[in-house]
Amino acid sequence: MITVVAMVGILALIGLFIFIIRDAIPALTEVGAEIFTSKYWYPTYDPPEYGMLAMIADSFILTGFASIIVIPIGYIIAFFLYDYATNTEQRIIKSAIDLLSGIPTVIIGSFLFIYISPILMNFGAWSTGNLLLAAIGLSILSLPYAASLMQEALSSVDISLKESALALGASRFTAGFRIVSKAALSGILNSIILTINRIIGETIVVLMVAGGAAIIPKSIWDPVRPLTAAIASEMGEVPIGSTHYSALFTAGLILLMISFILTMISRRVTRSWKS
Amino acid sequence: MKKVLLTLVLVGIALFSFAETLVIKGSNTIFPVAQLWIEELKDMYPNLTITLEGAGSSTGIAALFNGTTDIADSSRWLKESELEQMHEEGKYFIPIVLGYDGIAVIVNPNLGIDEITIEELASIYTGEITRWSQLNPNLPNQRIVVYSRNTASGTYETFVEKVLEGERMAPTVQMLESTHAEVQAVAQNSYAIAYTGVGYVTEDVKVLSVEGVQPTKMNILNSVYPISRPLYMFVDATNGYPQTGPVKQYLTFGLSKRGQELVEQAGYVAAYGF
Repeated sequence: MITVVAMVGILALIGLFIFIIRDAIPALTEVGAEIFTSKYWYPTYDPPEYGMLAMIADSFILTGFASIIVIPIGYIIAFFLYDYATNTEQRIIKSAIDLLSGIPTVIIGSFLFIYISPILMNFGAWSTGNLLLAAIGLSILSLPYAASLMQEALSSVDISLKESALALGASRFTAGFRIVSKAALSGILNSIILTINRIIGETIVVLMVAGGAAIIPKSIWDPVRPLTAAIASEMGEVPIGSTHYSALFTAGLILLMISFILTMISRRVTRSWKS
Repeated sequence: MKKVLLTLVLVGIALFSFAETLVIKGSNTIFPVAQLWIEELKDMYPNLTITLEGAGSSTGIAALFNGTTDIADSSRWLKESELEQMHEEGKYFIPIVLGYDGIAVIVNPNLGIDEITIEELASIYTGEITRWSQLNPNLPNQRIVVYSRNTASGTYETFVEKVLEGERMAPTVQMLESTHAEVQAVAQNSYAIAYTGVGYVTEDVKVLSVEGVQPTKMNILNSVYPISRPLYMFVDATNGYPQTGPVKQYLTFGLSKRGQELVEQAGYVAAYGF
Protein backbone atom coordinates (compact mmCIF):
# COMPACT_ATOMS: atom_id res chain seq x y z
CA MET A 1 0.00 0.00 0.00
CA ILE A 2 2.73 2.40 1.03
CA THR A 3 4.70 1.51 -2.08
CA VAL A 4 1.72 2.38 -4.25
CA VAL A 5 1.27 5.76 -2.61
CA ALA A 6 4.98 6.48 -2.92
CA MET A 7 4.96 5.44 -6.57
CA VAL A 8 2.05 7.79 -7.26
CA GLY A 9 4.08 10.61 -5.72
CA ILE A 10 7.15 9.82 -7.80
CA LEU A 11 5.11 9.47 -10.98
CA ALA A 12 3.45 12.83 -10.31
CA LEU A 13 6.88 14.42 -9.93
CA ILE A 14 8.18 12.88 -13.14
CA GLY A 15 4.96 13.91 -14.88
CA LEU A 16 5.44 17.48 -13.69
CA PHE A 17 8.99 17.56 -15.04
CA ILE A 18 7.92 16.14 -18.39
CA PHE A 19 4.99 18.57 -18.63
CA ILE A 20 7.13 21.63 -17.91
CA ILE A 21 10.02 20.57 -20.13
CA ARG A 22 7.68 19.73 -23.02
CA ASP A 23 5.99 23.13 -22.88
CA ALA A 24 9.31 24.96 -22.43
CA ILE A 25 11.04 23.41 -25.44
CA PRO A 26 9.37 25.51 -28.19
CA ALA A 27 10.60 28.76 -26.62
CA LEU A 28 14.07 27.35 -25.97
CA THR A 29 14.51 26.24 -29.58
CA GLU A 30 12.81 29.28 -31.13
CA VAL A 31 14.38 32.01 -29.01
CA GLY A 32 17.59 30.26 -28.02
CA ALA A 33 20.23 31.76 -25.79
CA GLU A 34 18.59 35.20 -25.91
CA ILE A 35 16.37 34.05 -23.04
CA PHE A 36 19.38 33.99 -20.73
CA THR A 37 21.43 36.85 -22.17
CA SER A 38 18.93 39.62 -22.86
CA LYS A 39 17.47 41.91 -20.22
CA TYR A 40 14.47 42.87 -22.34
CA TRP A 41 11.17 41.12 -21.78
CA TYR A 42 8.77 42.27 -24.50
CA PRO A 43 6.68 39.20 -25.26
CA THR A 44 3.73 40.98 -26.86
CA TYR A 45 5.62 43.39 -29.12
CA ASP A 46 6.33 42.94 -32.78
CA PRO A 47 9.02 41.60 -33.07
CA PRO A 48 8.85 40.09 -29.59
CA GLU A 49 11.83 39.73 -27.29
CA TYR A 50 12.01 37.14 -24.53
CA GLY A 51 14.99 38.12 -22.39
CA MET A 52 14.76 36.89 -18.80
CA LEU A 53 18.17 37.94 -17.52
CA ALA A 54 16.82 40.76 -15.36
CA MET A 55 14.08 38.57 -13.92
CA ILE A 56 16.50 35.72 -13.17
CA ALA A 57 18.80 38.22 -11.45
CA ASP A 58 15.82 39.63 -9.53
CA SER A 59 14.92 36.15 -8.31
CA PHE A 60 18.44 35.58 -6.99
CA ILE A 61 18.90 39.04 -5.48
CA LEU A 62 15.55 38.94 -3.73
CA THR A 63 16.12 35.42 -2.42
CA GLY A 64 19.60 36.33 -1.19
CA PHE A 65 18.35 39.45 0.53
CA ALA A 66 15.44 37.69 2.24
CA SER A 67 17.73 34.81 3.30
CA ILE A 68 20.16 37.23 4.92
CA ILE A 69 17.31 38.59 7.01
CA VAL A 70 15.54 35.36 7.85
CA ILE A 71 18.34 32.87 8.51
CA PRO A 72 19.99 34.67 11.46
CA ILE A 73 16.62 35.53 13.00
CA GLY A 74 15.42 31.97 12.48
CA TYR A 75 18.55 30.64 14.15
CA ILE A 76 18.23 33.01 17.11
CA ILE A 77 14.63 31.94 17.66
CA ALA A 78 15.53 28.27 17.37
CA PHE A 79 18.49 28.69 19.70
CA PHE A 80 16.38 30.51 22.27
CA LEU A 81 13.67 27.86 22.07
CA TYR A 82 16.21 25.07 22.46
CA ASP A 83 18.32 26.42 25.26
CA TYR A 84 16.74 29.27 27.15
CA ALA A 85 12.97 29.26 26.87
CA THR A 86 10.89 28.03 29.79
CA ASN A 87 8.05 25.67 29.03
CA THR A 88 5.50 28.49 28.94
CA GLU A 89 7.70 30.59 26.67
CA GLN A 90 8.23 27.63 24.41
CA ARG A 91 4.49 27.04 24.15
CA ILE A 92 3.76 30.70 23.39
CA ILE A 93 6.50 31.03 20.77
CA LYS A 94 5.62 27.72 19.16
CA SER A 95 1.94 28.60 18.83
CA ALA A 96 2.91 32.02 17.47
CA ILE A 97 5.07 30.31 14.85
CA ASP A 98 2.29 27.87 13.99
CA LEU A 99 -0.18 30.71 13.67
CA LEU A 100 2.20 32.74 11.49
CA SER A 101 2.81 29.81 9.17
CA GLY A 102 -0.94 29.43 8.68
CA ILE A 103 -1.60 32.99 7.51
CA PRO A 104 -2.44 33.03 3.79
CA THR A 105 0.32 34.72 1.81
CA VAL A 106 -2.17 37.02 0.12
CA ILE A 107 -3.07 38.47 3.53
CA ILE A 108 0.59 39.14 4.27
CA GLY A 109 0.92 40.80 0.87
CA SER A 110 -2.09 43.04 1.44
CA PHE A 111 -0.90 43.97 4.92
CA LEU A 112 2.52 45.00 3.62
CA PHE A 113 1.05 46.92 0.71
CA ILE A 114 -1.50 48.84 2.77
CA TYR A 115 0.35 49.43 6.06
CA ILE A 116 4.10 48.97 5.61
CA SER A 117 4.55 50.46 2.15
CA PRO A 118 3.42 54.01 3.21
CA ILE A 119 5.90 53.84 6.12
CA LEU A 120 8.75 52.94 3.78
CA MET A 121 7.73 55.85 1.55
CA ASN A 122 8.55 58.17 4.48
CA PHE A 123 12.00 56.61 4.71
CA GLY A 124 12.89 57.35 1.12
CA ALA A 125 11.24 54.62 -0.94
CA TRP A 126 10.17 56.12 -4.26
CA SER A 127 8.04 53.21 -5.37
CA THR A 128 5.21 51.57 -3.40
CA GLY A 129 6.50 48.11 -4.27
CA ASN A 130 10.22 47.59 -3.85
CA LEU A 131 13.02 45.16 -3.13
CA LEU A 132 13.05 45.79 0.61
CA LEU A 133 9.31 45.38 1.03
CA ALA A 134 9.36 42.10 -0.90
CA ALA A 135 12.30 40.86 1.17
CA ILE A 136 10.41 41.70 4.37
CA GLY A 137 7.37 39.83 3.08
CA LEU A 138 9.42 36.77 2.16
CA SER A 139 11.14 36.87 5.55
CA ILE A 140 7.83 36.90 7.43
CA LEU A 141 6.65 34.00 5.31
CA SER A 142 9.68 31.80 5.70
CA LEU A 143 10.52 32.64 9.31
CA PRO A 144 8.28 29.98 10.90
CA TYR A 145 9.67 27.47 8.44
CA ALA A 146 13.32 28.33 9.15
CA ALA A 147 12.87 28.52 12.92
CA SER A 148 11.06 25.22 13.33
CA LEU A 149 13.45 23.36 11.00
CA MET A 150 16.47 24.68 12.86
CA GLN A 151 14.96 23.92 16.24
CA GLU A 152 14.36 20.37 15.09
CA ALA A 153 17.98 20.13 14.00
CA LEU A 154 19.18 21.34 17.42
CA SER A 155 16.83 19.03 19.32
CA SER A 156 17.97 16.01 17.36
CA VAL A 157 21.43 16.28 18.93
CA ASP A 158 21.85 13.80 21.79
CA ILE A 159 21.23 15.55 25.12
CA SER A 160 24.27 13.79 26.67
CA LEU A 161 26.55 15.91 24.49
CA LYS A 162 25.20 19.09 26.00
CA GLU A 163 25.25 17.64 29.50
CA SER A 164 28.87 16.54 29.24
CA ALA A 165 29.86 20.00 27.96
CA LEU A 166 28.10 21.59 30.90
CA ALA A 167 29.74 19.10 33.26
CA LEU A 168 33.14 20.11 31.93
CA GLY A 169 32.39 23.65 32.98
CA ALA A 170 31.18 25.18 29.69
CA SER A 171 28.66 27.99 30.08
CA ARG A 172 25.13 27.45 28.85
CA PHE A 173 25.76 29.70 25.83
CA THR A 174 29.01 27.94 24.93
CA ALA A 175 27.43 24.54 25.27
CA GLY A 176 24.51 25.50 23.05
CA PHE A 177 26.35 27.65 20.53
CA ARG A 178 29.76 25.99 20.19
CA ILE A 179 28.99 22.36 20.97
CA VAL A 180 25.37 21.55 20.12
CA SER A 181 25.09 23.85 17.11
CA LYS A 182 28.28 22.38 15.69
CA ALA A 183 26.94 18.88 16.14
CA ALA A 184 23.68 19.96 14.49
CA LEU A 185 25.46 21.79 11.66
CA SER A 186 24.35 19.45 8.90
CA GLY A 187 20.74 19.80 10.01
CA ILE A 188 21.08 23.57 10.21
CA LEU A 189 22.65 23.80 6.75
CA ASN A 190 19.86 21.63 5.49
CA SER A 191 17.28 23.98 7.05
CA ILE A 192 19.00 26.94 5.40
CA ILE A 193 18.88 25.33 1.99
CA LEU A 194 15.25 24.31 2.39
CA THR A 195 14.37 27.84 3.51
CA ILE A 196 16.12 29.33 0.47
CA ASN A 197 14.28 26.84 -1.68
CA ARG A 198 11.00 27.99 -0.22
CA ILE A 199 11.80 31.69 -0.63
CA ILE A 200 12.74 31.41 -4.30
CA GLY A 201 9.45 29.75 -5.20
CA GLU A 202 7.17 32.13 -3.32
CA THR A 203 4.80 33.95 -5.64
CA ILE A 204 1.88 35.94 -4.30
CA VAL A 205 3.83 38.22 -1.99
CA VAL A 206 6.37 39.15 -4.65
CA LEU A 207 3.58 39.65 -7.14
CA MET A 208 1.90 42.11 -4.79
CA VAL A 209 4.76 44.07 -3.27
CA ALA A 210 7.92 43.65 -5.37
CA GLY A 211 6.96 46.46 -7.74
CA GLY A 212 6.93 44.54 -11.00
CA ALA A 213 9.68 46.21 -13.05
CA ALA A 214 12.02 43.78 -14.78
CA ILE A 215 15.22 45.71 -14.05
CA ILE A 216 18.35 44.82 -12.12
CA PRO A 217 18.01 46.85 -8.92
CA LYS A 218 20.64 49.37 -7.86
CA SER A 219 19.17 50.10 -4.43
CA ILE A 220 16.78 48.48 -1.97
CA TRP A 221 14.11 50.98 -3.04
CA ASP A 222 14.08 49.81 -6.65
CA PRO A 223 11.18 47.67 -7.86
CA VAL A 224 11.98 44.13 -9.01
CA ARG A 225 10.16 41.37 -10.83
CA PRO A 226 11.22 37.82 -10.03
CA LEU A 227 10.36 34.91 -12.35
CA THR A 228 7.50 33.67 -10.18
CA ALA A 229 5.78 37.07 -10.36
CA ALA A 230 6.11 37.17 -14.14
CA ILE A 231 4.60 33.69 -14.49
CA ALA A 232 1.71 34.44 -12.13
CA SER A 233 0.99 37.78 -13.71
CA GLU A 234 1.02 36.69 -17.34
CA MET A 235 0.02 33.04 -17.40
CA GLY A 236 -3.67 33.84 -17.03
CA GLU A 237 -3.91 35.97 -20.12
CA VAL A 238 -1.46 34.47 -22.56
CA PRO A 239 -2.72 32.60 -25.65
CA ILE A 240 -2.12 28.88 -25.05
CA GLY A 241 0.50 27.38 -27.34
CA SER A 242 2.16 30.68 -28.27
CA THR A 243 5.88 31.38 -27.83
CA HIS A 244 5.00 33.71 -24.98
CA TYR A 245 3.21 30.82 -23.24
CA SER A 246 6.17 28.54 -23.81
CA ALA A 247 8.59 31.21 -22.56
CA LEU A 248 6.69 31.35 -19.28
CA PHE A 249 7.18 27.61 -18.97
CA THR A 250 10.89 28.15 -19.57
CA ALA A 251 10.82 30.50 -16.58
CA GLY A 252 9.13 27.71 -14.63
CA LEU A 253 11.79 25.26 -15.78
CA ILE A 254 14.55 27.58 -14.57
CA LEU A 255 12.91 27.72 -11.14
CA LEU A 256 12.47 23.98 -11.08
CA MET A 257 16.15 23.46 -11.95
CA ILE A 258 17.25 25.83 -9.17
CA SER A 259 15.04 24.01 -6.70
CA PHE A 260 16.34 20.64 -7.93
CA ILE A 261 19.97 21.73 -7.55
CA LEU A 262 19.32 23.10 -4.06
CA THR A 263 17.70 19.82 -3.02
CA MET A 264 20.67 17.88 -4.39
CA ILE A 265 23.08 20.10 -2.44
CA SER A 266 20.99 19.61 0.68
CA ARG A 267 21.22 15.82 0.31
CA ARG A 268 24.95 15.98 -0.32
CA VAL A 269 25.42 18.09 2.83
CA THR A 270 23.43 15.71 5.00
CA ARG A 271 25.29 12.69 3.68
CA SER A 272 28.81 14.12 3.93
CA TRP A 273 28.24 15.09 7.52
CA LYS A 274 26.85 11.75 8.57
CA SER A 275 29.68 9.68 7.11
CA MET B 1 -28.96 2.24 -2.05
CA LYS B 2 -27.63 1.53 -5.50
CA LYS B 3 -31.02 2.18 -7.04
CA VAL B 4 -31.27 5.56 -5.32
CA LEU B 5 -27.85 6.54 -6.61
CA LEU B 6 -28.67 5.38 -10.09
CA THR B 7 -31.91 7.37 -10.12
CA LEU B 8 -30.08 10.44 -8.88
CA VAL B 9 -27.49 10.13 -11.65
CA LEU B 10 -30.20 9.64 -14.27
CA VAL B 11 -32.18 12.62 -12.99
CA GLY B 12 -28.97 14.66 -13.03
CA ILE B 13 -28.22 13.71 -16.61
CA ALA B 14 -31.81 14.45 -17.63
CA LEU B 15 -31.68 17.87 -15.99
CA PHE B 16 -28.39 18.66 -17.65
CA SER B 17 -29.57 17.66 -21.08
CA PHE B 18 -32.54 19.98 -20.79
CA ALA B 19 -30.50 22.90 -19.51
CA GLU B 20 -28.97 24.99 -22.24
CA THR B 21 -25.39 26.13 -21.89
CA LEU B 22 -23.61 29.22 -23.06
CA VAL B 23 -19.85 29.66 -22.82
CA ILE B 24 -18.28 33.12 -22.81
CA LYS B 25 -14.55 33.73 -22.73
CA GLY B 26 -12.23 36.63 -23.26
CA SER B 27 -11.33 40.11 -22.21
CA ASN B 28 -10.91 40.93 -18.55
CA THR B 29 -12.04 44.46 -19.32
CA ILE B 30 -15.46 43.22 -20.40
CA PHE B 31 -15.67 40.64 -17.61
CA PRO B 32 -17.60 42.86 -15.14
CA VAL B 33 -20.16 43.77 -17.82
CA ALA B 34 -20.71 40.13 -18.75
CA GLN B 35 -21.06 39.23 -15.10
CA LEU B 36 -23.79 41.82 -14.55
CA TRP B 37 -25.62 40.64 -17.66
CA ILE B 38 -25.43 37.02 -16.61
CA GLU B 39 -26.85 37.76 -13.17
CA GLU B 40 -30.00 39.25 -14.72
CA LEU B 41 -30.20 36.72 -17.53
CA LYS B 42 -30.30 33.89 -15.01
CA ASP B 43 -33.54 35.31 -13.62
CA MET B 44 -35.02 35.61 -17.10
CA TYR B 45 -34.00 32.13 -18.29
CA PRO B 46 -33.63 29.80 -15.29
CA ASN B 47 -32.75 26.83 -17.54
CA LEU B 48 -29.79 28.60 -19.09
CA THR B 49 -26.36 27.70 -17.71
CA ILE B 50 -23.74 30.31 -18.49
CA THR B 51 -20.02 29.97 -17.82
CA LEU B 52 -17.89 33.06 -17.96
CA GLU B 53 -14.11 33.13 -18.05
CA GLY B 54 -11.98 36.25 -18.24
CA ALA B 55 -8.72 35.12 -19.73
CA GLY B 56 -7.78 37.94 -22.07
CA SER B 57 -9.00 38.99 -25.50
CA SER B 58 -6.54 36.80 -27.41
CA THR B 59 -7.52 33.72 -25.46
CA GLY B 60 -11.20 34.41 -26.16
CA ILE B 61 -10.66 34.71 -29.90
CA ALA B 62 -8.45 31.61 -29.95
CA ALA B 63 -11.25 29.75 -28.14
CA LEU B 64 -13.74 30.93 -30.75
CA PHE B 65 -11.51 29.39 -33.44
CA ASN B 66 -11.34 25.99 -31.78
CA GLY B 67 -15.01 26.05 -30.85
CA THR B 68 -14.59 26.02 -27.08
CA THR B 69 -16.56 29.21 -26.61
CA ASP B 70 -19.80 30.62 -28.03
CA ILE B 71 -18.93 34.27 -27.56
CA ALA B 72 -15.48 35.84 -27.44
CA ASP B 73 -15.30 39.11 -25.53
CA SER B 74 -12.54 41.30 -26.89
CA SER B 75 -11.29 44.74 -25.99
CA ARG B 76 -9.46 45.02 -29.30
CA TRP B 77 -10.09 44.50 -33.01
CA LEU B 78 -8.97 41.33 -34.78
CA LYS B 79 -5.28 41.02 -35.54
CA GLU B 80 -4.01 40.51 -39.09
CA SER B 81 -3.09 36.92 -38.25
CA GLU B 82 -6.57 36.23 -36.94
CA LEU B 83 -8.17 37.64 -40.08
CA GLU B 84 -5.93 35.38 -42.16
CA GLN B 85 -6.77 32.37 -40.04
CA MET B 86 -10.46 33.12 -40.46
CA HIS B 87 -10.00 33.20 -44.20
CA GLU B 88 -7.98 29.97 -44.25
CA GLU B 89 -10.47 28.08 -42.11
CA GLY B 90 -13.45 29.47 -43.99
CA LYS B 91 -14.90 31.01 -40.86
CA TYR B 92 -16.74 34.27 -40.42
CA PHE B 93 -16.75 36.07 -37.10
CA ILE B 94 -18.92 39.13 -36.62
CA PRO B 95 -18.15 41.94 -34.22
CA ILE B 96 -20.85 43.44 -32.04
CA VAL B 97 -19.96 46.64 -30.21
CA LEU B 98 -21.29 46.45 -26.68
CA GLY B 99 -19.91 49.68 -25.28
CA TYR B 100 -16.89 51.97 -25.17
CA ASP B 101 -13.98 52.16 -22.81
CA GLY B 102 -11.81 55.18 -22.22
CA ILE B 103 -8.37 54.75 -20.72
CA ALA B 104 -7.93 57.44 -18.08
CA VAL B 105 -4.47 58.71 -17.22
CA ILE B 106 -4.28 59.09 -13.45
CA VAL B 107 -1.88 60.83 -11.05
CA ASN B 108 -1.87 61.61 -7.36
CA PRO B 109 -4.22 64.52 -6.44
CA ASN B 110 -1.26 66.33 -4.80
CA LEU B 111 0.61 66.65 -8.06
CA GLY B 112 0.19 70.06 -9.70
CA ILE B 113 -0.61 68.84 -13.19
CA ASP B 114 -3.97 68.74 -14.96
CA GLU B 115 -3.28 67.84 -18.53
CA ILE B 116 -0.81 65.95 -20.62
CA THR B 117 -0.21 65.31 -24.30
CA ILE B 118 0.16 61.96 -26.01
CA GLU B 119 3.75 62.86 -26.83
CA GLU B 120 4.55 63.61 -23.19
CA LEU B 121 2.88 60.39 -22.12
CA ALA B 122 4.92 58.47 -24.66
CA SER B 123 8.18 59.98 -23.47
CA ILE B 124 7.30 59.11 -19.87
CA TYR B 125 6.46 55.52 -20.71
CA THR B 126 9.46 54.96 -22.97
CA GLY B 127 11.75 56.28 -20.25
CA GLU B 128 12.92 59.39 -22.15
CA ILE B 129 11.68 61.60 -19.33
CA THR B 130 12.29 60.34 -15.80
CA ARG B 131 11.62 63.42 -13.66
CA TRP B 132 8.51 65.56 -13.34
CA SER B 133 10.56 68.73 -13.61
CA GLN B 134 11.68 67.68 -17.08
CA LEU B 135 8.05 67.80 -18.16
CA ASN B 136 7.38 71.18 -16.63
CA PRO B 137 9.85 73.21 -14.53
CA ASN B 138 7.06 74.09 -12.09
CA LEU B 139 6.61 70.46 -11.13
CA PRO B 140 8.72 68.92 -8.34
CA ASN B 141 12.18 67.63 -9.22
CA GLN B 142 11.18 64.06 -8.38
CA ARG B 143 11.48 60.77 -10.14
CA ILE B 144 8.32 59.80 -12.05
CA VAL B 145 7.01 56.47 -10.76
CA VAL B 146 5.44 54.85 -13.79
CA TYR B 147 2.88 52.07 -13.50
CA SER B 148 1.33 49.91 -16.17
CA ARG B 149 -0.90 46.87 -16.44
CA ASN B 150 0.87 43.62 -17.26
CA THR B 151 1.82 42.85 -20.85
CA ALA B 152 -1.04 40.44 -21.54
CA SER B 153 -3.90 42.75 -20.63
CA GLY B 154 -6.06 44.33 -23.31
CA THR B 155 -5.78 47.75 -21.69
CA TYR B 156 -2.01 47.48 -22.02
CA GLU B 157 -2.27 46.58 -25.68
CA THR B 158 -4.56 49.53 -26.38
CA PHE B 159 -2.26 51.89 -24.50
CA VAL B 160 0.82 50.68 -26.35
CA GLU B 161 -0.96 51.02 -29.67
CA LYS B 162 -2.57 54.43 -29.09
CA VAL B 163 0.11 56.15 -27.02
CA LEU B 164 3.43 54.48 -27.73
CA GLU B 165 2.56 53.64 -31.34
CA GLY B 166 4.42 50.37 -31.07
CA GLU B 167 7.48 51.74 -29.28
CA ARG B 168 8.70 49.76 -26.34
CA MET B 169 7.80 50.58 -22.80
CA ALA B 170 10.88 51.16 -20.65
CA PRO B 171 11.88 48.21 -18.44
CA THR B 172 11.67 50.55 -15.44
CA VAL B 173 7.90 50.74 -15.84
CA GLN B 174 6.30 48.73 -13.04
CA MET B 175 3.87 46.10 -14.21
CA LEU B 176 0.93 45.59 -11.88
CA GLU B 177 -1.40 42.65 -12.13
CA SER B 178 -4.62 44.48 -11.38
CA THR B 179 -6.25 47.81 -12.03
CA HIS B 180 -7.09 48.03 -8.38
CA ALA B 181 -3.42 47.81 -7.43
CA GLU B 182 -2.65 50.60 -9.89
CA VAL B 183 -5.22 52.97 -8.41
CA GLN B 184 -4.01 52.17 -4.91
CA ALA B 185 -0.36 52.71 -5.82
CA VAL B 186 -1.11 56.10 -7.40
CA ALA B 187 -3.21 57.12 -4.40
CA GLN B 188 -0.29 56.31 -2.10
CA ASN B 189 2.51 57.80 -4.13
CA SER B 190 2.62 61.55 -4.83
CA TYR B 191 4.84 61.17 -7.90
CA ALA B 192 3.16 58.24 -9.61
CA ILE B 193 1.37 58.01 -12.92
CA ALA B 194 -0.73 55.16 -14.30
CA TYR B 195 -3.48 54.43 -16.78
CA THR B 196 -6.70 52.53 -16.20
CA GLY B 197 -10.17 52.00 -17.65
CA VAL B 198 -12.39 54.99 -16.76
CA GLY B 199 -14.68 52.66 -14.81
CA TYR B 200 -12.01 52.03 -12.20
CA VAL B 201 -11.15 55.63 -11.36
CA THR B 202 -11.85 56.51 -7.72
CA GLU B 203 -11.78 59.80 -5.80
CA ASP B 204 -8.30 59.02 -4.47
CA VAL B 205 -6.68 59.85 -7.79
CA LYS B 206 -6.77 62.68 -10.32
CA VAL B 207 -7.70 62.14 -13.96
CA LEU B 208 -5.65 64.16 -16.46
CA SER B 209 -7.08 65.51 -19.68
CA VAL B 210 -5.19 64.17 -22.66
CA GLU B 211 -4.50 66.60 -25.51
CA GLY B 212 -6.89 68.94 -23.70
CA VAL B 213 -9.76 66.47 -23.75
CA GLN B 214 -11.31 65.00 -20.61
CA PRO B 215 -12.41 61.35 -20.75
CA THR B 216 -16.11 62.21 -20.54
CA LYS B 217 -18.90 60.05 -21.88
CA MET B 218 -19.45 61.89 -25.15
CA ASN B 219 -15.76 62.33 -25.77
CA ILE B 220 -15.17 58.61 -25.41
CA LEU B 221 -18.23 57.61 -27.43
CA ASN B 222 -17.16 59.75 -30.36
CA SER B 223 -13.51 58.81 -29.92
CA VAL B 224 -12.60 62.49 -29.48
CA TYR B 225 -10.74 61.41 -26.39
CA PRO B 226 -7.50 60.03 -27.80
CA ILE B 227 -7.21 56.89 -25.69
CA SER B 228 -10.62 55.33 -26.11
CA ARG B 229 -11.74 52.15 -27.76
CA PRO B 230 -14.85 50.14 -28.56
CA LEU B 231 -15.46 46.87 -26.73
CA TYR B 232 -16.57 43.91 -28.83
CA MET B 233 -18.27 40.58 -28.63
CA PHE B 234 -17.23 38.26 -31.46
CA VAL B 235 -19.68 35.60 -32.55
CA ASP B 236 -19.09 32.80 -35.04
CA ALA B 237 -21.55 33.57 -37.84
CA THR B 238 -20.16 31.07 -40.35
CA ASN B 239 -23.63 29.54 -40.60
CA GLY B 240 -25.45 32.84 -40.33
CA TYR B 241 -26.40 35.14 -37.49
CA PRO B 242 -27.77 33.12 -34.56
CA GLN B 243 -31.53 33.56 -34.68
CA THR B 244 -32.58 31.42 -31.73
CA GLY B 245 -30.91 29.90 -28.70
CA PRO B 246 -28.74 31.12 -25.85
CA VAL B 247 -26.31 33.18 -27.96
CA LYS B 248 -29.18 35.17 -29.44
CA GLN B 249 -30.81 35.61 -26.02
CA TYR B 250 -27.56 36.89 -24.57
CA LEU B 251 -26.85 39.33 -27.39
CA THR B 252 -30.39 40.69 -27.41
CA PHE B 253 -30.28 41.31 -23.68
CA GLY B 254 -26.85 42.91 -23.83
CA LEU B 255 -27.94 45.42 -26.43
CA SER B 256 -31.29 46.12 -24.76
CA LYS B 257 -31.96 49.24 -22.72
CA ARG B 258 -31.37 47.33 -19.48
CA GLY B 259 -28.21 45.65 -20.80
CA GLN B 260 -26.76 48.99 -21.78
CA GLU B 261 -27.61 50.43 -18.38
CA LEU B 262 -25.54 47.65 -16.89
CA VAL B 263 -22.64 48.58 -19.17
CA GLU B 264 -22.72 52.01 -17.57
CA GLN B 265 -23.04 50.45 -14.14
CA ALA B 266 -19.84 48.52 -14.77
CA GLY B 267 -18.11 51.83 -15.42
CA TYR B 268 -18.04 51.95 -19.22
CA VAL B 269 -19.91 54.01 -21.76
CA ALA B 270 -23.06 52.54 -23.31
CA ALA B 271 -22.94 52.21 -27.09
CA TYR B 272 -26.66 52.50 -27.70
CA GLY B 273 -29.63 54.42 -26.35
CA PHE B 274 -27.68 57.10 -24.52
